[in-house]
Amino acid sequence: MNPGMKLLLVMLIALEISFTQSLIVNCILIAVSFVYILTQHIRMKALLGIIFWPLFPAVGLFVSQWLYGSAGIHFAWILFTRIYAYVFLGATFTLTSSITDLSLTLEQDFHLPSKFAYGVLAAFNLMPKIVEEVQIIKTSALMRGEALHFWSPKLYFKSILSAIQWSQNLAEAMTSHGFVEDYERTHYKIIRITALDWTLFFVLLIIVQVLLFFIRY
Amino acid sequence: MDNKNQATTGKKQSQWTLRNIILIALIAIFTGIIFWGAGFLYTALTVALTPFGMAPFANDLLMGLWCMAGPLTGFIIRTFGSAFLGEFLGASVEVFLGGQWGAGAFISGLVQGIASELGFTLTAYKRYDWFGLNASIFTTVVVTFAWDMIRNGYDKFSLPLLLGLFVTRYISTFIFAGVLTKMIVKLLDRSKAINL
Repeated sequence: MNPGMKLLLVMLIALEISFTQSLIVNCILIAVSFVYILTQHIRMKALLGIIFWPLFPAVGLFVSQWLYGSAGIHFAWILFTRIYAYVFLGATFTLTSSITDLSLTLEQDFHLPSKFAYGVLAAFNLMPKIVEEVQIIKTSALMRGEALHFWSPKLYFKSILSAIQWSQNLAEAMTSHGFVEDYERTHYKIIRITALDWTLFFVLLIIVQVLLFFIRY
Repeated sequence: MDNKNQATTGKKQSQWTLRNIILIALIAIFTGIIFWGAGFLYTALTVALTPFGMAPFANDLLMGLWCMAGPLTGFIIRTFGSAFLGEFLGASVEVFLGGQWGAGAFISGLVQGIASELGFTLTAYKRYDWFGLNASIFTTVVVTFAWDMIRNGYDKFSLPLLLGLFVTRYISTFIFAGVLTKMIVKLLDRSKAINL
C-alpha cells in the first residue's frame, strides 16, 4: 500500500480508538495488525521489542485505572489493549515503510511543498550521525571533567550549534545539486496512489467503522 | 561562526526557507535523541509506580521533557508553524527509533505540536520572552492534559488524583519547556550564533 495512505489510515484508526471504548475492536485491530506484520518478514528482535516494551505503560495504566478509576476493570482492559493497538497499528507502518518513500509520496501525491519533503528527509537521513554527535558532545565534555545530562542546557546548546552548522551545509549541498525551492521538480522515482490503494483504504476504514458501531463491549 | 541566520535579516521574507526547515528538523531530532537516552527513566519510574497504581505520574513527570522541542524551535525560528513542526518531528523520531508508543507517538506529537504552537499564536508571534514562553507552557499543559483525559482515561480518576497529575505535569513542563528552554536560548543569544 502507498506509504502515505497507510500512515493516514493508521492515524485515523488510532485516533478513533482513542475516542471509542471497545475492548473487542481493540483486540481485533491488534490481531489483524499482528498477522500483517508476520507476513512482512520482520526481524525477530523488532517483533519481540514491540511486544515487550509497551508492557510497562500498559500495565501501569491498567493497575492505576483498576485501583483508582471509577469505570472498573473493563475500562482498565480497554486502556491496556489500546496501548497495544497503537503500537501494533504503528508497526504496520514503521516496520514496513521507508521514510524515503513516505516523503516522496507526500511530495508527489499529497502536494507537500518539496522543500519540506526533501528538507525533512535530508535531516532524518542524518539520524545515525546525530546519535554519534550527541555522544561526541557528551564525551568531549567529560574530558573537561564536565558531565552533561538531559537536563543540562549546555548539551542542547551545543546540539543546536551543530544543527545550525549542519543545516547550512545541507541546504547549500542541496542547492549545489540543483535543488531549487518552490520550483516544479521532475522525479526519478514516481510513486502514485493506485486504485487498489484507494479501495484498500476505504474498505479497511469502513470495516473499522462497522466494527466500532456494532461491537460496543 | 559565520552561520548568521540569513532568514531573520530580511524580516518581510518568509521564514520557511529550506535551511530553516532542515534546522527545525535537526533540532527536533537532536532533542528527540537526547530524551531517547532518558527513556529508561520512564520505564524505571513506571515500574516503580505501578504497584501503587501511580504509573500515570511517570507520564506526567516527564511530560515537560517530551514537550521541549516545540518551544525551542518556536523560539529559534520565529514564525507560524515552527513550534508545531519541531514538536511533531521530535515525536516522530521516537516512532522511528522504535518507541513504546507506536502510532500513539505520532498522535501525541500532533497534539503536543498544536498545544505548544497555540501559545505562540495567542501572543500573535510577537512576544518572544518569558511571557510568551509561559503562554506556550500553559497551552501545552492544558491541551495535552485534556488529551490524556480521553486517551489515557484520566477522566475516570477522582478529583484529588487528577489535580495531583495536573500539578505534576505543570511543574514538569515549567521546568523543562520553560526554565531549561530559557537557559538554552540565553546561551544561544550570548553566543551570537543565531540572530534571535
